[in-house]
Amino acid sequence: MDTSIEREDRLMMLESLKNVFWILVFPGLLFTVFLGLAASWLVRKVSALVQWRVGPPVYQPFADVMKLMGKEIMIPERSNRTVFIAAPLIGFSGVLLLAAVLWGAVVAPAKMPLGDVIVALYLTVFPSLALILGSSASGSPHSSIGTAREMKLVISYELPLVLALIVVLAKSGGNLSLAELASRTPVLSISGCIAFIVALFCVQAKLGFTPFDMAEAETELAGGVLLEYSGGLLAVWKLMQAMMLVTLPLFLVMVFLGGFHPSVWAGIGKYVLVLVLVILIKNTNPRVRTDQAMRFFWIYCGVIMVVAVVLASLGAYFYIEWL
Amino acid sequence: MNCEELFDKISGIEDRFTALERPLPNRIYMTCEAENVYELNRFLFEDLGLRFVIASGCDPGGYFEVIYHYAYDPEGCLVNLRVLVRNRENPVLDSIAPLLPAASWIEREINDLLGIDFRNHPDMRRLILADDWPEGVYPLRKDTKVAGGGVEK
Amino acid sequence: MNWKIWSLKKSPWVFHVNTGACNNCDIEVVDVLTPKFDVERFGIKLVGSPRHADALLVTGGVTAQAAPRLLEAYRQAPKPCVVFAIGACACDKGIFTNGYHMVGPVDKVIREEDPNAIITYVPGCPPKPEAIISGVVKALESL
Repeated sequence: MDTSIEREDRLMMLESLKNVFWILVFPGLLFTVFLGLAASWLVRKVSALVQWRVGPPVYQPFADVMKLMGKEIMIPERSNRTVFIAAPLIGFSGVLLLAAVLWGAVVAPAKMPLGDVIVALYLTVFPSLALILGSSASGSPHSSIGTAREMKLVISYELPLVLALIVVLAKSGGNLSLAELASRTPVLSISGCIAFIVALFCVQAKLGFTPFDMAEAETELAGGVLLEYSGGLLAVWKLMQAMMLVTLPLFLVMVFLGGFHPSVWAGIGKYVLVLVLVILIKNTNPRVRTDQAMRFFWIYCGVIMVVAVVLASLGAYFYIEWL
Repeated sequence: MNCEELFDKISGIEDRFTALERPLPNRIYMTCEAENVYELNRFLFEDLGLRFVIASGCDPGGYFEVIYHYAYDPEGCLVNLRVLVRNRENPVLDSIAPLLPAASWIEREINDLLGIDFRNHPDMRRLILADDWPEGVYPLRKDTKVAGGGVEK
Repeated sequence: MNWKIWSLKKSPWVFHVNTGACNNCDIEVVDVLTPKFDVERFGIKLVGSPRHADALLVTGGVTAQAAPRLLEAYRQAPKPCVVFAIGACACDKGIFTNGYHMVGPVDKVIREEDPNAIITYVPGCPPKPEAIISGVVKALESL
């Protein structure tokens, strides 16, 4: 006969098994990785269709990652071995935490007391930081140029992104929790719409897509920030980039477009919309120089965002919804 | 001026070169000896205002040739100055790089491949041969025997 | 079949090395990678670093200056790696057979370093893009 203590023990064990399942399989690690690789296939397929060609088959990103796992890992002699190996793992764990926070806010908001927008914003810096660490530990002159470019890019786009979040917070009255923000749609107002567009460009730079892919692809003349990585470590970088394709548009959807209300299908539709916007911007633009990107983010986006913040504050103060 | 007048101006300084031909209305070929190379190049470039195109180095047999090609663009006329270097053991020419900096690289290449030395060249370094190619072996001379991929003299 | 070989066949990333070619074969290789021939269907992608590459597309008969650099690129490509000798010059020195500067065709230079290297020959001067694609696909099928 079960005593109440044994029943409690069994419930706690079931509870922790369920948490492990949520973290590792759905909607945690495996689900996000699977979704991320499917999203990267979607990026390549839509790019191919825009260029009037056929494009890769559905299993292509999975085959890419499998192939990379099967190749040998070469570590350059002049590199800092510890940081070289640790950098992709740092980036991967940062994106994993971000995915956990975002999915937690969607699936079980009551259980995520730490899931607020500042934590999410902080975690989105992790992939770029890991890229900077990894490429500067590579010990190669080409990757140090890539490091410098990535650092300049990160300095450029963080400011408008924070200003865009300030607009959202002004509308929500200072409430920081992600689940609460996901129930509003700031995009249906002037300042919210401006903030969404600017945040879309910042996400484009964070994902490393054209027109802001100068860190990785520019030195595609010789390789870029990931120049010295090969084999399994490169596979971790590719997985990290695939997971960013899930988490960053999801972040935009939850903060600006109203999350998964009124239904799950609406949420999926909004995510696909943001992804398609990112792909279309990627395919219709050439790459810009670092100084052009800085001018774009600081001067144009910055000034527009200050105007939007002023409008949002006025709207919140005078209770005008559409400002 | 047109090609006729160009030809007349060149034949005006008859004493500097040894032969002058005009096989086609817009082709003028001059031949001269090694001593007059700088003076004739200066005449063609500065006095007549022709454009220097390139120089070619050849090894026909008993002597070396360096041909300087000039163009007169308004009429489409080509003037070739052929300089004969008769000293085969120690071929030396005056460099025209002080007059025409654009000629410095082609003179380096002729020096690499044929071994013709250019006096007063501002920067005589190896240009197109491999870094580990032995000094003193000039591949395009007729008496250098090179097998594919190696050197045997 | 082994998952490693399957994934290598489905996603060969290529790196282009020019060891002293006249550039005709390079133009054809770049043509292959344009959207018209769409080699992304086979998973082929041009990468900028030899460390990301599965296949080296080598053009040109190897000159004395380029030979150590070709070997350096081959060493940096993580094994398993396939070398494609594209064009008549890469297969057997082509019209530069008696040249003073040619160290050897691609297979002679690479086999000095690694006698078990996998080398595929795509002859032509230059080979058409369709011929290059057919050579790559045949090599992958025979892996």
